[in-house]
Amino acid sequence: MGKAKDRNILIAVDESENSKRALLYVADFLGGFPGFKAIILSVIPVPEEGFFESGEVKQKWVESNKEKVSDMLERYRQILIQSGFPEKKVRTELVVTEDTSVASIILEKQKELDSCTVVVGRRGISKSEEFLFGSVSNKIVHMAEKCSVWVVE
Amino acid sequence: MYIMIYSPETNNTLHKPLSQKDLRDLASRWLDPSRVPQKFRIITDTSDFFRVEYDDVVILNDHPYLIRHNEKEGRFGIDEEPKFWVKGAIDLIDGSRKILKLVFHERFKARVGHLVFDCVRSPVKEARVINLVRGHHSFMQGFSVKDSAGNVVRILDYIYGKTMADYAACAGENHEEYFYMHFHGIFKGFIEAVKAIKFLHENNEIHGDIRRDHLLRDKLTNKFRWIDFDFIYSHHENKFGYDIFGLGNILIYITGGGDITVQQLRAMKPDIFSRISDEDLNIIFNNRVVNLKKVFPYIPESLNKILQHFSMKAEVFYDNTGQFLDDIMDAEDSMHKT
Repeated sequence: MGKAKDRNILIAVDESENSKRALLYVADFLGGFPGFKAIILSVIPVPEEGFFESGEVKQKWVESNKEKVSDMLERYRQILIQSGFPEKKVRTELVVTEDTSVASIILEKQKELDSCTVVVGRRGISKSEEFLFGSVSNKIVHMAEKCSVWVVE
Repeated sequence: MYIMIYSPETNNTLHKPLSQKDLRDLASRWLDPSRVPQKFRIITDTSDFFRVEYDDVVILNDHPYLIRHNEKEGRFGIDEEPKFWVKGAIDLIDGSRKILKLVFHERFKARVGHLVFDCVRSPVKEARVINLVRGHHSFMQGFSVKDSAGNVVRILDYIYGKTMADYAACAGENHEEYFYMHFHGIFKGFIEAVKAIKFLHENNEIHGDIRRDHLLRDKLTNKFRWIDFDFIYSHHENKFGYDIFGLGNILIYITGGGDITVQQLRAMKPDIFSRISDEDLNIIFNNRVVNLKKVFPYIPESLNKILQHFSMKAEVFYDNTGQFLDDIMDAEDSMHKT
């Protein structure tokens, strides 16, 4: 009998507490169980051209955010490893994108990695805020195909 | 410093150094002789826009513009304060009235209802949009150039005309009369304006500050034109949501012939006020009534349904301008048939 293929769990995080709760939920729920690979993804949406006064200011903003988010991803990777995920089965990914929906990037990654589950935190925004600015978790719930979505509050 | 000057004698353009006499000659073509200054201050670097004052000549791309005044609200902004970075000017070559928007990198927290978000005033973004909409009858027209310090200055054609707010608010005191006599014409103009915003969105651009006083009916073409494209905000997951909200607010305003607030109803129409619930109010501006059919029963259902997508009751929001446009065109069509 062949060895069963690991299932990919895609955990999408930002610097919010809700994201951290989502990651901790996965650590609690799946840590120590065999058969899972975890990919911790963070997307940095760079504001559109013209938002920054100059290219130099923009570059500094991107670099500073990349550094912060990379540190966060490494901390989160360690949390999963300590919860029982084998080190070689936890990896991180950072995507810097301009002028694109974060939800779309997460779902593209889900397809690319053939993840069976996408895990996101939920900010609990108001209806009016969702009306004006949209919601990453809602968009993922509505647009995801061929995978389950865990929304952690 | 050189300037291209059209010479009627030779029917040609001259490329010659700009002198004070040249400027006086040019200015005297368009100004009363008593208003032509003896000496002009010439500005090529507009970084310090407070220093650009009345009777200065700003040279951009070898082209002289005579500064007249700072623009004020009515056209730009919220109050009557002068906008020191927005100058009314005369193009000294052809005498046309222009607006020069100088670079002002403003970064602030915008407040809409109880929501607060980051917003910037971006010359680069406005220049990009102006370039995109060149020749489009539903947008202000102009172009951008860099001054000697590299600032992106936008040179805009002046639009003579009233705002959408003026048309809807002044069209008639009696709403029923306004609705049957004037609304349809304003609505048709609004539909054209929405088509224009759809064009922007299809090109992945936003207007950024859609308001009823940012839509002017050009006296020359009798069409509405959008103005002021320099705002960028942190739009999170829904890039076009704030623009769509702005369009909804204008539609609510023109349908009501002005904003209909709970305060007005409580004071003037207590019977109607007693029937208004939270669900009938604007999703962001919670004192404005959106379910206008409760106030004006002759408003068609097809139109009122659209308004309610912007109410606290709404469960389904417009995802894009195309959906909104389809609905208002259907509503217009059904009103036309009845």
